[in-house]
Parts: sequence; structure tokens; C-alpha cells
Amino acid sequence: MRNISLILKQFSKSVLLVAGIALCGLTANAQADAAKGEAIFKAKCTACHKVETRMVGPALGPQLTQETDDAYLTKWIQNNQALIAAKDPKALKIFNEYNQAGMTVFAELSDADVANVIHYVREDWKKQQEAKAKGPAGGGAAAEDAGPSNLVILALIGVIVIAFIVILVLNRVIGTLENLLTKNKDTLVFEEEVEEEKEKTDKFAGVKKALKNKKLVFFIVLCGVIALGSFSWVTMWNTNMHQGYQPVQPIKYSHKLHAGTMKIECQYCHTGAFKSKNASIPSLNVCMNCHKAVKTESPEIQKIYTALGYDPQTQKYDSTKAQPIQWVRIHNLPDLAYFNHSQHVVVGGVKCQKCHGEVQEMQEVYQYSPLTMKWCIQCHKRTNVNSKGNGYYDKILAMHNDIKKGKKLTVDVLGGIECGKCHY
Amino acid sequence: MDSNKTYWKGLEELNRTPEFVEKNKHEFAEPIPIEEVLSGGGLSAKTPRRDFLKALGFGVGAVTLAACQKVPVHKSIPYLVKPEEVTPGVANYYSSTYEGSAILVKTREGRPIKVEGNPGDLLSKGGLSAQAQASVLELYDNNRVKDPKLNGNTTGWPQLDKYVKDELAAIKASGKKISIVSSTVHSPSTLAVIADFILAFPTATHVTYDAVSYTGIIQANKNSFGKAVVPHYNFGNADVIVSFGADFLGTWISGEEFTTQYVKNRNSKSLEEKKMSRHIQFEAGMSMTGTNADVRLPIKASEEGIALMNLYNALTGTTLPGSKKLTNANADKAIVLAAKELLAAKGKALVVAGSNDVSIQTLVNAINSLLGSYGTTIDLDAPSRQYAGNDTVWAQFIADAKAGQVDAVFFLDANPAYDYYNTKEIEAALAKVRVKVTFSDQADETSALCTAVAPNHHYLESWGDDSAIEGYYTVMQPTINPVGNTRQAEESLLLWSDNAVKSYYTYVRNNWDTNLLAKGGLAGQAGWEALLQKGFINAAPVAAGTYSFALDLNAVAQTIISQSAKVAAAGKFELQVYQTPAMRDGKKANNPWLQELPDPVSKVTWDNFAAMAIADVKEMGLEEFQVITIKGANGYTIDLPVLPQPGQARGTISVAVGYGRTSAGLVGNNVGKNAFPFYNLLNGTFQTVSGVSVEKTSDIFPLAQTQTHSSFEGRTVIREATFTEYKKDKAAGIGEEEHEKYDLWDKSDDDASHARPVYDWVMAIDLNACTGCGACVVACNAENNIPVVGKAEVARRREMHWIRIDRYYSFEQNGEAKTDGRTGMVTKEKDIAKLQDFDNVTVVHQPMLCQHCDHAPCETVCPVLATVHSSEGLNQMAYNRCVGTRYCANNCPYKVRRFNWFNYWNDSRFDNYLSNEHTQLVLNPDVTTRFRGVMEKCSMCVQRIQAGKLKAKIEKRPLADGEVKMACEQTCSANAIVFGNRNDPNSAVSKALASERTYYVLEELNVKPGIGYQVKVRNTISELHA
Repeated sequence: MRNISLILKQFSKSVLLVAGIALCGLTANAQADAAKGEAIFKAKCTACHKVETRMVGPALGPQLTQETDDAYLTKWIQNNQALIAAKDPKALKIFNEYNQAGMTVFAELSDADVANVIHYVREDWKKQQEAKAKGPAGGGAAAEDAGPSNLVILALIGVIVIAFIVILVLNRVIGTLENLLTKNKDTLVFEEEVEEEKEKTDKFAGVKKALKNKKLVFFIVLCGVIALGSFSWVTMWNTNMHQGYQPVQPIKYSHKLHAGTMKIECQYCHTGAFKSKNASIPSLNVCMNCHKAVKTESPEIQKIYTALGYDPQTQKYDSTKAQPIQWVRIHNLPDLAYFNHSQHVVVGGVKCQKCHGEVQEMQEVYQYSPLTMKWCIQCHKRTNVNSKGNGYYDKILAMHNDIKKGKKLTVDVLGGIECGKCHY
Repeated sequence: MDSNKTYWKGLEELNRTPEFVEKNKHEFAEPIPIEEVLSGGGLSAKTPRRDFLKALGFGVGAVTLAACQKVPVHKSIPYLVKPEEVTPGVANYYSSTYEGSAILVKTREGRPIKVEGNPGDLLSKGGLSAQAQASVLELYDNNRVKDPKLNGNTTGWPQLDKYVKDELAAIKASGKKISIVSSTVHSPSTLAVIADFILAFPTATHVTYDAVSYTGIIQANKNSFGKAVVPHYNFGNADVIVSFGADFLGTWISGEEFTTQYVKNRNSKSLEEKKMSRHIQFEAGMSMTGTNADVRLPIKASEEGIALMNLYNALTGTTLPGSKKLTNANADKAIVLAAKELLAAKGKALVVAGSNDVSIQTLVNAINSLLGSYGTTIDLDAPSRQYAGNDTVWAQFIADAKAGQVDAVFFLDANPAYDYYNTKEIEAALAKVRVKVTFSDQADETSALCTAVAPNHHYLESWGDDSAIEGYYTVMQPTINPVGNTRQAEESLLLWSDNAVKSYYTYVRNNWDTNLLAKGGLAGQAGWEALLQKGFINAAPVAAGTYSFALDLNAVAQTIISQSAKVAAAGKFELQVYQTPAMRDGKKANNPWLQELPDPVSKVTWDNFAAMAIADVKEMGLEEFQVITIKGANGYTIDLPVLPQPGQARGTISVAVGYGRTSAGLVGNNVGKNAFPFYNLLNGTFQTVSGVSVEKTSDIFPLAQTQTHSSFEGRTVIREATFTEYKKDKAAGIGEEEHEKYDLWDKSDDDASHARPVYDWVMAIDLNACTGCGACVVACNAENNIPVVGKAEVARRREMHWIRIDRYYSFEQNGEAKTDGRTGMVTKEKDIAKLQDFDNVTVVHQPMLCQHCDHAPCETVCPVLATVHSSEGLNQMAYNRCVGTRYCANNCPYKVRRFNWFNYWNDSRFDNYLSNEHTQLVLNPDVTTRFRGVMEKCSMCVQRIQAGKLKAKIEKRPLADGEVKMACEQTCSANAIVFGNRNDPNSAVSKALASERTYYVLEELNVKPGIGYQVKVRNTISELHA
């Protein structure tokens, strides 16, 4: 009976831990408006703005701290042209101050988005100010730190304390209940009490007794064997399967930002996906289409410049200094399997996300699919051939008996799971 | 068996030698020593317990450690700046030219991986020779010279330029001679560069020296018609072809072109129209062309001239002085019949001779003039430029050099230190020359004698042009940046002669803009771009004029007789030096694909040998592969193994040139023996025939022959008919016999799982078109990443070729069937009686590859289902499923499965071939390289099928017939192979298979092969055997 309470204790502890982690996640979500704002800011604003200094547009930190009318700001950001056209004095003033260079219209940003951006800029500016106040040395790093705030940590501790109290109370209750039980059933309890006393005298008596119980020993050994067996089975089964593989890349490139926030089409960079078997990693000249102007100061972008031998000051390339970037391959299909992107993307009309996951949500890309043969075949068995409007299939469908009989035209019906389709 | 002929791959099969019988019992040359291990020796061997535990502990530890790294890190390095036209994973094709043939070069991510014929090419119509197919491998040859060299030391280009220019200036001042020695140059721009160089240095001359010379023909034409050219022959216009020792389908002048022409009158289409040319071949050694002849008669090489005289006599009814009978009486009979045939086909006849003797070629001209060949089968007005070597000029150069008159010599694509017959003379001559520069990108024999090496680009790295035939111009463009620190020879010459144009590209452009583009109706930048796209232009055709021969033949006859007598007097045997289609003159000896390509006739790889008549071998008491010492008139001796060759003229020995290189590179060094020194210079031309004496030695030097590596156990796999029979019955020879059919499969099952609802990929091979050249084998090597295994492994029957060409001999039909009808095997008694007939054998070539049987015997025995059938009729091989039981190879009746005995791609033993990193750049990235321990075989170029289907899908249209071509099919100049979809009744392959001549090999086994063969038809002369 004592054991039960112990197990319960353990259980409650783990529940607590899980709850704690979940809570942590939740609070992180609650904080997301600043993060979201940051993402939007970095994606849309940094071409012309910086928080601390004036670029094409004003330094947003001081500007937004001065200007507290968020409703006005939202209007301005969403459509500054309308404000200027309406001859809003504040708008006209700033318009003239900045050489009448109109700001890009961001009609696609919702009010919430704008609020996020504003919130982010103010927070960021505040942090920068605080860092300055603390001292110039550690300032930058502190501002960069986007970890959970003190409030979150305090809340977490609070929850843990409460959970502990709950456990203690529950334990007490259990103890009382056990006592009640023993009082009600004396005969049984008597023996147990004796046992308990013995236990007190000899710590290992229980273990010794348990060891004498052959059935128990057998049971435990069996459990052990099964556990070990299944562990090794699973390990071996998954050997060379790297689902979730997320290597560190030489450049901290964010798909979330580019594909998600900026909504850049996958094929803008991965041009091969529609033409070739390789989707191909974009060459750096593709990056330079934007990053010749965008975020030029970022240390990550500087890596591109170094690789290309590009000097942002003179805007000249020096190919002798060029050093290719060694990305780490995430999706490693073995050499023995032939895979063609264009077959799947163009002919099959498969979305990139089907195999690669929601890349637009991934800060760093990881291997989403198991890339096992089972996974391939399952899909080939379940997916219908995208034959509509493709002249290639017209005659084939007419010739195919199975289809005439009304069978569903999945990939495997056309031989899509035969060895020679992928292995040659 | 319905066939009344016996086919045998080699003498050992014919004679059922004990070794052959023993070897034939096993699928593999060396059985695995399981028995040995299990019985006694293996089991009682002591492995100390502690050692075992140590090994076990180490093994477990190592594996654990190795398994620690969760994911092996693969780096992926994209282009920094991607060239616009390159998409990784998609091949680009560039037009270029190889030895005057327009070609397409397939490149992947900027590296050439395969050469394919340009379908518009005038010469081979999209086909390519084995040498051209293999040329891409030379680009990645590790033995190429990577830097310029001065006095044997690596140097830079500026230093070399300074040296050469200083020397040239000094020589110019002194007025001494400068020679540019090259093999025939037929590039208009290169010729212009050389002309410019000569302008800059007036004492310079251009000496054209061909290792295998055609001076005889050029000189004879000069004497006869005033035109010093090699004519452009047209075998397609000839109904009757008589060849005296000319291997025109293989090595003679323009083999691929002649093959396309020749086959035109012999393929299915021609047969359907009941037309077939007749080809009569008189020759000493069995050549590839000889194997294809309708009638082939062995005559001594020295008697070629006499035979031609007899033909002339028979044609004209006169008798040239000195005419006499041939040693082979049958040949005399055949000459009379040939004369009859030729006269009947006047204007559509062609006589050619392989000899390099002026007198013989003059006589040939006389005969062709008699037959009205000029203007129809011979074109002197748009001649071939493929060979222009002048042996006399070359001899003069050597004399001048020896006299110390030459101060500088430049070798362009010439290696006389190896291929000039008198090595000592060339060494002595070069010792007198102060400045010796070679442009060779191989550290060849001549570069060892040179003071400077200015390595040339490989042709795939070069700009240039070519004109193999007058009026046909092709362009060469680079497909890769130079791999080493090399420079194009033309550019070097431009720099050294201080030409106004320094870049050879600009030079070529200018030359085309001013001289050549207009010929093809092109002009300007647009014209140049159009040319680069198309690859060639055709100038307005010039009508071939007729020429008549008017020289006196008496003197010619005198010379022929005296020369023949001289050879006969020089030794007991006469030695004929010839080229093999793979190795030719030996310039490409360092190419492992060519070394491992079995010779079309002897099926020998990695060696040359002394081919002798079987009667002579028996007479001398020689064994197969017994080494003989051949001593030439000039005292040169070589030791070569004997190969008893059916069809070899008695009293003759044939030895191939192109072997015995000492400085070719790691692959080609010391492979075989050099036969060039048996040449001699007579009457101004190199003679390939000489008298020799032969001595026996007791050594045995086994050759790696592939001929008997897989036996059909006497089953009939070749079907043959004569043209007369064919005309009576189109289905003649296919064997109508009905066989009892057994089936392992339910009929219902047959409908379901063996259905081919969409595609049924099959192939049709026309035995009548196949010449046996072996280009398909090399094309397959390049396309499918087939490893090279080397001589030792070939000897153990472990060659990896997915397609092989089986060569079958049979005795010339002399009316009666001579074989044991039931078994098809020759009995010993009859054997002896037939000894005479080894002179008269016929040969059939049969390309053999995986037959993609619908009821494949290999599939049923695979314990792991690694080889299964697809719904498109392909027999698939999943390498990664294969566990290497080799049951499939045992059960394959066609013996086409290949086992990977080694990890050929990463094994230092195969370093010289393809296992080094640099050479592996030639691999086709769409095909996996197979690992040790798995089976492989022809996949029917499934990667091409898949790529073709994908292209059609993306373009949203049905797959057209002929869109997907197999590598072997594509390179075949004879169009002997047709691949396609049997489900489409209009496809070329369906039509080909519908031919009455179609039969299936081992049809009686009911394995339902997917490859149909068409009966070989031979246009024999019945009177000859009467």
C-alpha cells in the first residue's frame, strides 16, 4: 500500500513536470506578439528602417516612443499614402521631413500585425536603452537575448510550488485512508504490521523475500528481456532513418522568414524542383537578388558576401576570394534510390509540404518525413495519379484493363511500386 | 535441330577439349571452396579461442563506435553563381566533332559523360565507333600530362614560350629547317594555323605522317588520274563488293561510314525488296569485314596483288605478264566468279584493296575504271580527307634530320618513336635535332625524346573544326574547362609565330566567318550560333565525275610480281600486320574500355597475339597460346602467343599493331607486343606484309579470351539462310519446329500479373546488319557505369559487360550436312575429315544481352526477389536486395548475368581503370555503381526509359516511338538494334519483329524472350561450292 503512494508521488511529479513544460510553452506563445512583430519587422521594414538609427526612414525606436497614438500609427503603416492624401498634418510633416519619399504601403498587415510590430519596436528600443544604461559592453548581448522573461520563470516556480503542496496534501490523504483501512481489517493488518516491523529491522528482508519468489523473478526478468528486446528492435529498425534530423547549417537561414512570412515561392530558390531530379540548393546569386540591398549589415548575410568575394562597399565581386558555402544535406536519400523532383512536383502535382513538412513554419529545416521505402510505397499506393489534362495518360488509361474495370488509378496501378521505377 | 550447320565459338568447343568440358560444367570459373572448408582442412584449422575473443571484442567495439555518429554528414555545395544554362540533374548536349564525325556530347553539371552521334552526321548517321564512344574516358585519364615540360621538368607556359620563341628566332636567322610532323590534319582551321606558321617561318614544312598509311591509294590516284587524294567510296551504291584485304567495315579509312552504306543494301528493308548486295572478301587474316562477307577466301597477303591481276585478267580476257595461279585454288575459282558478278553489276560494283602499295592500288584503279565505278561508287571530286600521310615525305624528313638539316621539330598527334618501324633510326634522327617539341597530352614514347612538351587539350576541351570529306564541315566546341594546365596546340603555334590573332577561338571564328560559313548558307553571329547548334554544314554537292584509267599495266604487274616473290623469299611465313577495330594504331592504348573490348574476331582482350592457320599450328606442333618467336627481315623479334585462327590463310601470321606501348600510361603500358617494326618502306610506301621466320618456345602465355565464357551447350542459337533460300521463302532458316510448351504459371495468372497494359519494351536485333564491331559494348560501358576488370579477371571469366557480341564459326556449307544432327556436336572422326575446312569458315555475330524473358528463369530462383518482372516487360534487378547467391546466373540460359566479385569502384587493385576519383567523373550519375557481391545485367537502359516517359509527362503528350533509344541502339551505325514498345503495332520494333525472319533464341525453352533476332542471310555463290 505504501508502494502505491510512492508511485503516485512519482506520477504526480512527472505530471507536474509536463505541466510545467506545457505552461512554459504557453507563456512563450503569449509572448509571441513581440516575436511575431520582430519577424514582420525584419521581413518588411528593415530595408528602410532600423530601430536605433535613421536609414531611409526614421529611426523607429525614438519615433515610436514619442508617438503614442497607436491607431494613427496603424493607419500610417497600413496605408501612409492615404494619410498624406488626406493631408493629415502629422503625416505631411514626416513626409516632407523625409524628402517626400513615400513609404511602401503595407495593406496586407492586419491591425494585430501592426500592433505586434509596434510592440516589438518599443520593447526592442527599451531593451537597447536599458542595455546602454547598464554599460556599453554587455548591452548588445542582453538585447539580443530573447529567452523567457523573469515573469515566466516566476510563474513557473509558483506552479511548481503549488503542485508540490497538492502532492503533499494528497499523500497525507492517502496515508489517512490507509490507516483507516488497517483499523477496519485488523487480522490482515496485523500480519502486515509485523512485516513492517521486520522491514524496519532488516532493510533488505523484503528484497530477499521477493528474490525467493521465483514467479516474480521470472516476471521481472521477462519484462527486462522484452523491454531490452523491443528497445533494440526499434533502434535497429530505425537505423539509418533520420526523421527529425536537423543539422546546424553554416548560415542561419530561416525558411520561416523567407517562405512563411515573406511568402517567397519555394521554386524561386529551388528552381530545379520543377525541371530536374534535384530540387537543388540555390546558388548565391539567387540570394543576392534581394540581399544586395536587404539586411546588408546582418552577420549572416555577410557570410554570403564573404563566400562570393563581394565587397558591399564597392559592390564588386572578387572571384579569387570566393569560397563556396558547404551546406549540410538534410534529406539524404541513398544512392541506390532514384528520386526525381519534377516527376512528383510537376507531373504528380504534389505539394512540397507533403514530404518536407510545413517548411514555411520552420526556423531551421529538419527532416520531416522518414524517407523510408515503406513511406514511399505507402504514398504510391494511396495517391491517385494526377492524370487529368495530361495528354500522356489519355491513351494509357484507355489501354489499361484494371482502370476500365473501375479500379482507382493510384500510382501503383501504373507500376509505381515496381523495383525498376526507382532502383537502377 | 533444324539447322544443318554447326556453330562453335572456338576450337575448344568444336573439339570438346577436356578443359572446355570441365570448365563448362561450372557457371563460374572458380567454384567457391565450400567443400574444402567443410571437409577436413577448414574445420580442423585452429583458431585460438583468445584470438577469436579478441577479434569479437574489437569487432563489437568498432561497430559500436562506428554506430555512434547518428547521421553521416553529407555536404551539399551549390554553385556560387550558377550558369544560366545548367540545371543540376539535367544533362546538356553540345554539338562537337570527333575525327570529322559530328557528335553530341552529353554533359552533366559541366562535365562530359558520354559521346553520342549526331543524327545528321554525314559519316555515320548518328552512329559512333567504339573508339569514339571511349574517347570521353580519355578526358579523365589520370596519366595525361597536366603541365608543360621543358627538358623533362615541369615548367610554366611563359618559360616554355620563351624557350621556343627564342629558339625559333635563332633558327630563322640561321635558315635551318623547321618541321611540323603531324598525323593527317583535316581541320581547315588547324591547316590554316600551320600555313600561317609556315608563312612566319619560311623554312618550316608540314610533314604528314600516318602510323597506318594510305599513301599507296593517294599515290596511285595521283598517277592514274592526277588527283593525289583518298577517294570517297560509296559502298551503298555497290551491288557487288570485292575486297582484297580491306577491312572497310572496321579499320579501313572510314569504317563507320562504310558500315552505314554497306548495311543499307543488306538490312531488313533491302531484303524486303528482295535486294541484297554481294560481298566477296579475299584476305589473309580473318578481319571483321571478312567475317561479314558473303564469300570469304583466305589468300596469302603477298598474293593480294596476284589475285587482283587474275581478276583483271578475268574481267578483260587478257593476261597480264607474270600472272600465275594462287596457292588457294578455290580462290582462283572464286575470282573468276567474282569477275562474272562484277561485270554483271557494271556501274554498281566496287573493288577495294587494303594494301598500301602503289602498284596494287593502281591495278585496283584500273579494275574500277573498267567497271565504271568512278562517279557511282567512287567519288574523286569530293574526296575523303581522312588520310593524307605521305610516306616519302616522312622518309625525307628522317633523312634530313639525320643529316642535321632540321633544327626544330613539332609533333602534333604523332608518335613516331612508337609507331615508326625503325625506332633506332628515329632516335638517331631526333638526336640531331636541337629543338623538339611535342603537343602530346600523354607522356608517350616520342615525348621522352623531346626537349619540350606543350600538352594539347583533349578534343572535348578544344575549339576547332573538321572536314573529313570535301564539302562537309563540322565544328568542335569545348564542353569542359581544361582539366589540366594544358593549352591547345593551335594556340601555341599562333603564339610562337606571333600571329595577329592570339586566341584560337577567335582564329576559328574568323576562318569560319570569312571562308566556311557561307558554304553552308550561313552568315554572321546568327550563322555561327546556328552552326554551333547544328554541328555541321554541307556545302553544295559536287557531282562525282567519271574517270578512265589509261596507264600501262605491264610495269605495275612486274612490280607486283617481284614484291610478292620478295616476301615469299624472306621467310617461311609471311607476316601481315593489321589493326583491330578497338585499338587501331595504338594512340588510345591507355583507354581501359578499349583494352577490355573483345576483338570482334578473336575475342581476345588486353593483348595482341600471333594468329595462325590451324593447319600450320598442327604442322608445327604448337599448342594454343604457346609462345613463338617471330623474327623479321630486319632482325626485329617479338615473342607472341599463338592463336589458332579459323579462316587464316596458310603460311601467314597476323599480328595487330597498337600494342606493346611502353609509355602509354598505366593501363596501356606493356600490353601485348609492338608489331610496327615489321613494317618496311618499299617503293615509297610502308608495306604491311613481310616475310618472317618463326621459332617455337616452350612458354605458354594464356590470353584472356571471352569467346567460350558462356556456352549454349550446343543448342542452336544462330539461324542462317542463304539469299537464294530467302527469296524463295522469307521465313527460311527460322526453324519452324513446334516444341512442347510447359508453363509454370496459370493462364489466369498470366493475365493478371504478367499483363503489360501500357508498354511492352522489347528489342529486335538484325543479325544481318550487325557487323560485330563492338561499339555497342563500349556505349553500354559508358551509359551504365560498367567497371573494367583487367586481364586477370577477364581470364577468370569475370568480365562485366552487359552486352557481348558472340561470334560463332561454322563450316562453309558444301552441300551436305556434316554434323551429328541430333546433338549438333561434331564427332571426333568427322572432325579430322573436316580439317580442310578450317580455311573456309563462315562467321555470324550475335549481340547477346539480357533477353528480358517474360518467363524469366532467373526470377523464379531468386530467394530474395531481387530480380522481378515489371509491368512493362522488363526484367528488373534491385541491386540492394541482392544477396549474391548467384542462382540467377546459374539459371540463365543466355548467360548474361554478371557478378560483382569486387568492389570495383573502390579497390586499389582496379586503380588503373576506373576506381580513382578523377576518372570516376565520367560516371553517369543516373545509374548506381554496383557494390561487391551483387548481380547485375542489362537493365534495358531503364534510366533512359524513365527519363523519356518523364519528359513526355511534363510536356503532356504521349511517348513517341523512337524517342527513347538504348545506348547500344544509338551507337550502332548499322542500325542492327531496334528498341521500342511491342504494344504499339506501328512502332519500329513491332514492325521489325513482324518480319518473317524473326526468331527467338532458345525459343524451345519457352522463356518468352523479349528480344527477337532476325535470321542472318548470306548472299552466297552457289557455284563456288558446286
